[in-house]
Amino acid sequence: MSAPLIELDGVSRTYTTPAGTITAVDNVSLSLEESETICIVGESGCGKTTTGRILAGLLRPSGGRLLFEGADVWEKKGKDLARFRRAVQLVHQDPYASLNPTRTIAQTLAPPLAKHKKAHGRAARAAMISLLERVGLTPPADFLLKYPHQLSGGQRQRVSIARALTVDPRVIVADEAVSMVDVSIRISLLDLLHNLATEFHVTTVLITHDLAVARYFARKGRIAVMYLGKVVELAATEPLVSDPAHPYSTALIAAIPEADPTITRTKKRVTLKGAEVPSLLNLPPGCVFHPRCPLAEPGLCDVVVPPLGDLPGGRSVACHVALRERQPAAELLGVR
Amino acid sequence: MPVLAVRDLSIEYRTRHGPVQAVRDVTFDLEQGETIAIIGESGSGKTTLAVGLIRLSPRSARVTKGEIRYDDGKRAFDVLSLDAERLRRFRWADCAMVFQAALSAFNPVITIWEQFLDTGRAHGMGDKHKVHDRTRELLDLVHLDPKRVLSAYPHELSGGMRQRVLIAMALLLDPRIIILDEPTTALDILTQRAIIDLLRELRSRLGFSTIFISHDLSIAAELADRMLTMYAGRIVERASVEDLFYRPRHPYSVGLMRAVPRVSGAMGSVASIPGSPPDLIRLPKGCSYYPRCPFHVDECLEQDPPLLQVDTPNHEAACIRWTAVATALGSDAEAPVAEKLA
Repeated sequence: MSAPLIELDGVSRTYTTPAGTITAVDNVSLSLEESETICIVGESGCGKTTTGRILAGLLRPSGGRLLFEGADVWEKKGKDLARFRRAVQLVHQDPYASLNPTRTIAQTLAPPLAKHKKAHGRAARAAMISLLERVGLTPPADFLLKYPHQLSGGQRQRVSIARALTVDPRVIVADEAVSMVDVSIRISLLDLLHNLATEFHVTTVLITHDLAVARYFARKGRIAVMYLGKVVELAATEPLVSDPAHPYSTALIAAIPEADPTITRTKKRVTLKGAEVPSLLNLPPGCVFHPRCPLAEPGLCDVVVPPLGDLPGGRSVACHVALRERQPAAELLGVR
Repeated sequence: MPVLAVRDLSIEYRTRHGPVQAVRDVTFDLEQGETIAIIGESGSGKTTLAVGLIRLSPRSARVTKGEIRYDDGKRAFDVLSLDAERLRRFRWADCAMVFQAALSAFNPVITIWEQFLDTGRAHGMGDKHKVHDRTRELLDLVHLDPKRVLSAYPHELSGGMRQRVLIAMALLLDPRIIILDEPTTALDILTQRAIIDLLRELRSRLGFSTIFISHDLSIAAELADRMLTMYAGRIVERASVEDLFYRPRHPYSVGLMRAVPRVSGAMGSVASIPGSPPDLIRLPKGCSYYPRCPFHVDECLEQDPPLLQVDTPNHEAACIRWTAVATALGSDAEAPVAEKLA
């Protein structure tokens, strides 16, 4: 294993609200290598977006460290910090809000090229043309003078990706980057992001609520499942979707409606004990999933917070029962 | 006898650039107790059609031709010929619409109970106690605790609870038809699953007919009996849910099926549809899917193809190349398109 490129080392993020303190992200560790693809998956409120923003250096963790090439990012200053800022880029969810409507595509792409690469005039134009080609906006010259409103959602998202690429990033964090574009073109955007990892060695982190999207995108990578601020499972994609180790991931995968009438109508279900997700203001003691968990054992799961431990096959899971039995929850619940 | 029979329905939007032909010559029947899912990309006309069925279209929309025949066995009429008062009654009592459970579907400053009461009163339920009893019964039916929900304001409820409230409210006057527009979009997976199961349960208990509008094929796979694929305002394929998922015959349906990755089973050959939908103001001559279609031949440019009966019963596709599509997919086995093309 090579040294990680970027690493979350036990990061937490708390927010103070009038109603009390909320821990949106709690002790999350994740280390990513060069050209890796990884998805952070979870439902709303699980902390996946906050984790992504910490990873991109946009949000200072309240605890723990963000390491880039082994050094603490929040200790960096001056040129060193600027280098990190260029190295890690964020692609937002909403391509309608993330592009300045009063600027043409050329005016959107030129400033970062000028600032970071000292590319002006003809050199800048050539760089823009090559970027637009790279993100599949062809013929590129047609797009330079267009405004965002003249483009479709998918095209705008491609412009956002091109903008992120102006500074030759080494890590791209894409937060729900395909959820607002039409289903018919999502795959091509995922392919574009995937190619950045395989061809240009960019580490690509996709944050999504959609496990099918995660499976497709990270087919050669890993998936981290988050629940109420914690990573509950981290594993290579195929074992995670076919044989989930945590009871929560098992329940999610069993519940997903699938675009196949036979499969979706005959899927084995996992019945949870409670439907409501606990409030972040009032988290249950022990394992945060225990009030809903069909495997929960009184005296253990409601008392002790489970660590993220290893199961055979290089997968990590934060579940007392799965770790003790050395078996994924999907087997224990009989839904494999 | 269909409860709703739509014939040659065409709807246009007036714009500065000319009329947008959002729905063109749509014909279909909705049988008693049946669930139809309408699928297509944004801009395919599915929402215009759904909203048009209860004449809730914006002012810029105009029905240029067609008929929407409602017949519940006791009363029969053309929805397009109803006057304002009868239309208002039709809208909740015979045919209710459930929108996405966004906060905007509610009046934000009144409680859930007052929303039910308002709706009941607007539709002639004068007796407050009757509305109250009915409301409690419906909230029970959608598995919500009336004590907790009735006095709450919309913002105090979770997305899943709001969607349940909207479904309960749609059932207030016991309609024969429910139209659902993206009923599970923006909900979390486990909530989505609960809403799907609820709709299935309600449908079998109450026997209403359902029309679903969704860009999410998996909801259609879960709940639909029959499916309509819309492209550029037209129905381009009409089939049972199994035929559409496993034996689609229109290249656009094939494209949609291939565009959606799955969590279980083989991934197969997933791919996006190239290009974008046509300009509905200046529709090209011939088949409107021609520029994006991998099966096209010169003949496709001659006319916009009518719906043709294909190789399975009660299955039509508006494609002169449907046999080529069938050959490309190979077997008729119940396997998803992406797997067959892999």
